[in-house]
Amino acid sequence: MAFPLPRGITASEIAFLAEMEMVTVVPRQRLEGLELLGGPVEPLVPPRRTSLPLWLALLLKRQRRANIIPPPWLHPESLSLILEVESQHQDYKNSFSPPPPLPGQPSVRDHGLEPTVRPQYTLDGNRYYAAPPFLPQNSAQTVISSRDLPALPYHWVEVGNMLLDAASDDLVDPDQIRRLLKDLREVRMAKMRSGVDVLDDAATGGGGVALTGVGAMELGEERGFLAGVVDGLRKIGASKEQARRERLAEQRANGGYDGTQDEEEEDYMEF
Amino acid sequence: MSYYDIDSILTDAQKIPCTFELEVPGLGILEGNPGEDIKAGTRIDLPLWLGEMLSIGARLGTSRLVTLDMPDALAERVMNALKADPRTVDLRALAPHFYTLSERILEIFEEEEMVDVLSDTFKKRAAEISDQAHNPRGRWARASTFSVGSMRMNGSVMFRAAHDRAKQMRIWAGEAKRK
Repeated sequence: MAFPLPRGITASEIAFLAEMEMVTVVPRQRLEGLELLGGPVEPLVPPRRTSLPLWLALLLKRQRRANIIPPPWLHPESLSLILEVESQHQDYKNSFSPPPPLPGQPSVRDHGLEPTVRPQYTLDGNRYYAAPPFLPQNSAQTVISSRDLPALPYHWVEVGNMLLDAASDDLVDPDQIRRLLKDLREVRMAKMRSGVDVLDDAATGGGGVALTGVGAMELGEERGFLAGVVDGLRKIGASKEQARRERLAEQRANGGYDGTQDEEEEDYMEF
Repeated sequence: MSYYDIDSILTDAQKIPCTFELEVPGLGILEGNPGEDIKAGTRIDLPLWLGEMLSIGARLGTSRLVTLDMPDALAERVMNALKADPRTVDLRALAPHFYTLSERILEIFEEEEMVDVLSDTFKKRAAEISDQAHNPRGRWARASTFSVGSMRMNGSVMFRAAHDRAKQMRIWAGEAKRK
């Protein structure tokens, strides 16, 4: 192979992207505000909590200049709750536990309730809702509403691993957390692999596999394989697909205009 | 299928049975007796690229030189075996590039049922490959006809994809040692 790196994004690259997530720290030393490319960082004043990018928080943690407050989901209780949903709950037999709800988009659970997050405004006065990775999914919340069930954020594998690695003394029962994270990964990997059975529909158009709530690292790990399966199925089914299209075109030529067929024809255009 | 794809070049070289419809003077070299003619009705295994070229008249409606037959690797017998259990057939022994060969064959012949059987086989075996790739020392690897060695080309590529990613991930997480 000429190019040594595999196609797609590697594990360390995904981890690098995850280091942009904001986490909450309690500084132990004073530090003046920093002007970083990702935005200014507030000055650190010892007893006050601040949000920092993960990489900076880890750096300060290693130098013993700050303590990291773990995100609410990285707690044995939350994790075992998610694991229970993931492995015991009937509704989630074949799908993944739901990701944290996006602001401005009420999730199924809090049906009929006002979204808690206020929209933000740009400098020009346009209204917008922040989207990942600019959501504080990994910072400790000051107000914890009871209806917010714990949910795994997009970068849960990376953030969980890095915090266990560098800041395990800040976590509650790190061994338990490590075990739960591993269990969760295995349960979800098994689900993803069983999804191969329904990939056929994804290859020939129409169907698909729901990957809602799957984390970045999990996607990166399975990407090469899943894409390979879909591609192989597409190639094998190519002649059948061709025949079907010809048949449809023939029907259309014979039967004149029909609304439904027109719609299907448009679907094919995407290929 | 890219121009430089070595697998597709090798697929082109696989032999498929052809029957000559016409007498061809001087082409006896294909049969092993140079200088002679080839009689009509002779069955010879020709490489896919040559057979496809010679049979192209069939599609244009003019008289054709050869008719293609289904290769042994995709015979009815194999299809029945695949229908019974996709995982126990040694596809690589049948044809080194089983799936690429069948893709090409399916372009030539219209076999809807075969498409279904092959898609199903591909799915089932892909799931198995994935499991093995994540756990190469599991019980499957030790006692099964479905070892990495018996996988067809396409499969070993996928095995690598799944296995390398999982390994890379473990290295990153510090669970496995870097080589």
